Amino acid sequence: MIDFHTHPVLIREFAEKYPDYTRMAREVFQIGNNLQPLETFFLQMDVAGIEKAVLLPIACARARGLAVSSNEQVAELCGMSKRFIGFASVDPLHPGAARELESAVKGMGLKGLKLDAALQDFDLNDSKVFAVYEAASALGIPALIHTGMSWAPGTPLAQGQPLLLEPAIRRFPKLNFVLAHWGWPWVWDANALALKYPNVYLDTSCFYYDGPTEFFQFHFSQQMPITIVERSLRNQVVFGSNYPRVEIKNMVKAIKSLGLTEACLQKILRTNAEKLLGIETQPTR
Amino acid sequence: MIIKLEKIKVQSRKAEEAIDITAHVDELVAKSGVKNGLVNVMTCHTSSGLLVTEGLPCLEEDILTHFARLLPEDENYHHRRYLDFDGRVGFNAETHLKSILGGIQCSFPIEDGKVVRGSRQTIYFMEYDGPLERTYMVQVLGE
Repeated sequence: MIDFHTHPVLIREFAEKYPDYTRMAREVFQIGNNLQPLETFFLQMDVAGIEKAVLLPIACARARGLAVSSNEQVAELCGMSKRFIGFASVDPLHPGAARELESAVKGMGLKGLKLDAALQDFDLNDSKVFAVYEAASALGIPALIHTGMSWAPGTPLAQGQPLLLEPAIRRFPKLNFVLAHWGWPWVWDANALALKYPNVYLDTSCFYYDGPTEFFQFHFSQQMPITIVERSLRNQVVFGSNYPRVEIKNMVKAIKSLGLTEACLQKILRTNAEKLLGIETQPTR
Repeated sequence: MIIKLEKIKVQSRKAEEAIDITAHVDELVAKSGVKNGLVNVMTCHTSSGLLVTEGLPCLEEDILTHFARLLPEDENYHHRRYLDFDGRVGFNAETHLKSILGGIQCSFPIEDGKVVRGSRQTIYFMEYDGPLERTYMVQVLGE
């Protein structure tokens, strides 16, 4: 199984190595949990049955003073374990952002693009962002874009509206967009985009109240029929936990509580991610 | 009067786990130089615990199984809410309640430089929300 949405923000070895790392976790990303040795990350994956995790940085230094992990830090972690798949983040308003992305992919071996308009403070339809999308499309990597509500302080909700991405989705049909957090609370907007556009994927890292299983039961059974996932979107959903905002084991349990068929779960938990990442694939139905 | 405080890290490897720390406590007492006094052991976390029982795998399993029965995950807990200051949802109420139910500390007398314990008493660090690196404290007081 692959977790498509994790943030390496509480790793003690990095807190000891990089002076601003803890302040970034507390003040920019805003998370109160204790720092943990890297070993805990792997153990969290193990108990959840996760083999590989996508690590997401956010290049928000211009807007927030510090980046939420750098591309270099993500690449460093990927160098420590093949269980990590690193994404790159760039500031689209920074001159040379497209070249920076190309360098992170070709030079550091990072496998995707991560952007968060709310935390990075840019307009999703700024022409400068489109230059980054163009580069991502040319590189053949997926773009995981924050949509929905952000936990980070000072981030406006409006910049997380999934429909803001429609012009880019239409302009770059060969670029696969992964809408993080299922666009919550705009889940129907996210659904509509995924139904209409084959280059739109949704990640399951939405959890904002109650317990993970309760949240999923409401979101996927009452807010929308689970049949949308089972029948229409089965090839466009990837499992993401948003660890360490929630432990991976709880999110795996939640997705497995929905009564999806094994074939559909296999796609969500593994093969859709493999397809997006261009790694080993298994036959899909 | 000697007062020594040690903070010990322990890495839990499962979601729930009973970790025998008896030998480590004995060792810290022996190193402390205290001949007669008291040793207190306490977890530093609110979703883990410290308890004393007979050191048998079957009892370890029973404790965790019956705590889960008494405090199921799918109960209606008020703690399950958006905690903006923490950047998380407080979805682990049952782990906090298990910590309260099983307790967070224990103490034993020290005599002639050794912990005085019943022959079957084993000290466990209880993980209710792992795997995590945890810390427990051992304070030795005496002469």
